Amino acid sequence: MSQPSVIINLTLGLLWFIVHLAINIFSLWSRLIYNIESYLISIGLFPKYRKFQLERLKYLAIVVDSREAKNVAKIEQLLCWLSTIGVKYVCLYDIDGVLNKTFEPTMNGSRDVDSGNSHDVGANIKALICCRSEMTVEYISGSDGKEGIAKAANLLCSTYFNGDRDARGNDEIVFTEADMSGALKAIGCGGPEPDLLLVYGPARCHLGFPAWRLRYTEIMHMGPLNSMKYGAIVKAFYNFSKKYQNFGK
Amino acid sequence: MPPLLLLPSHCPAATHQPPTSARRRASLAALPCPRAGASPAPEALLPRGLRAESLPRHVAVVMDGNARWARARGLPSSVGHEAGRRALEEMARLSGAWGIRALTAFAFSNENWSRPKVEVDFLMGLFEQVIHDSVADFLREGIRLRVIGDLSRLPVSLQKISREAEEATRNNSLLDLTLAISYSGRREIVQACRKLAEKVQSKALRAEDIDEELFADELATGRASGGSPYPDLLIRTSGELRLSNFLLWQSAYSELFFTDTLWPDFGEADYLDALSSFQSRDRRFGERKF
Repeated sequence: MSQPSVIINLTLGLLWFIVHLAINIFSLWSRLIYNIESYLISIGLFPKYRKFQLERLKYLAIVVDSREAKNVAKIEQLLCWLSTIGVKYVCLYDIDGVLNKTFEPTMNGSRDVDSGNSHDVGANIKALICCRSEMTVEYISGSDGKEGIAKAANLLCSTYFNGDRDARGNDEIVFTEADMSGALKAIGCGGPEPDLLLVYGPARCHLGFPAWRLRYTEIMHMGPLNSMKYGAIVKAFYNFSKKYQNFGK
Repeated sequence: MPPLLLLPSHCPAATHQPPTSARRRASLAALPCPRAGASPAPEALLPRGLRAESLPRHVAVVMDGNARWARARGLPSSVGHEAGRRALEEMARLSGAWGIRALTAFAFSNENWSRPKVEVDFLMGLFEQVIHDSVADFLREGIRLRVIGDLSRLPVSLQKISREAEEATRNNSLLDLTLAISYSGRREIVQACRKLAEKVQSKALRAEDIDEELFADELATGRASGGSPYPDLLIRTSGELRLSNFLLWQSAYSELFFTDTLWPDFGEADYLDALSSFQSRDRRFGERKF
């Protein structure tokens, strides 16, 4: 190989190294800024994060990657933080039902049938006394998502064809959104539409959270559960409080 | 190409990407992308940093921000929609060139019918004109057009031109372009339920046999997007962080990419940013059926 080409290759290699070093430094710097900001928010240094209003956040949903949902301590800490901030209703979801199996039978709290009825959900709801304030926690899984819609369709069809066929004759079959909502409620897959959905996990997707309840939900990806920060949650709520929705109109 | 999305709102969000121009354009060195329909291998056309094997097969986009874009420039919203149309044309061209098989664009929502009649009528006219004018391009570029949504609410002339364009392009195979017009994710679910009920009525099916797979087959997108009806990547522009009743069922495993960039400004660099973000995620869903 000639000398000029060697020099060129070395130069290109050096440039490659410098570019990657710069990217890594930028990435580290971004993470550092994020951690510092979260800490400063959590100690109440920024007035705007202490004083925002949470009235618009009536229903919060949390999606957790099922592998991370096994971290009981982190989930409990998250619920405590949410309760401290003032969240009154939280729906916890993971597609494999790990949260259901792990927390539903063991979490301290009374099974609140009245609360469940008022929110159109089934059995997996508890009124949780957590960190000195009451918070309703709903546990759902993938079976409440697409499977739930399929079961609701099954129920709608069965009900329709078991009804007064003679009166209908050959009328065109008409189902409405209200019919589907009613069917979902009947099988215990109702529930309110969350105003905000926080996603904890490596991928930024809602992992099959019940589609019927996701129409206008704000979705924010929070990163891995292991590195969750109180300040990041406060910031997310603050940003949500500033949101404006016109619902397409 | 239809411009659209009439879902204006504002406010930045907690987890999103700021406009890419300052961050990406200086560092990206995109290869020139010839018009879709050319025959070179997709790998040769990919910008550096993208791996062909990790590209999404199906991309969905909520094209938000046309009106805000126009307002920011002191222009009427019609100019914003025209600019939005050009952005969609460019995105379709790039998708075809880079080997992305399907592109689903949210053009007009069911909720948008509540807009002022003048505005709605203008958009319906624009959709009709754009579809009519684009058929020749679709045929040349190998794009198959599908229109999904509550088409019964569209003007008869627009329904007609949509059907004709679908028929004319049905044998194209480079890119499946699906336009969601008068679309509602919830309505799509209810319609799927109705279709299943009709099958039960005709004894083709028993009610108790209805499951997720059968249900998914009856969704409009199940038939529309040749390969997979499930977007791997769902992009929303203009800083909003919600699905707004778009692909509620189909987006279970879609990587959600939210950017502050307004739709008319969403160009190659922004698209590359979204694709790079998709490739960098740890997307391990195992053997889960979705």
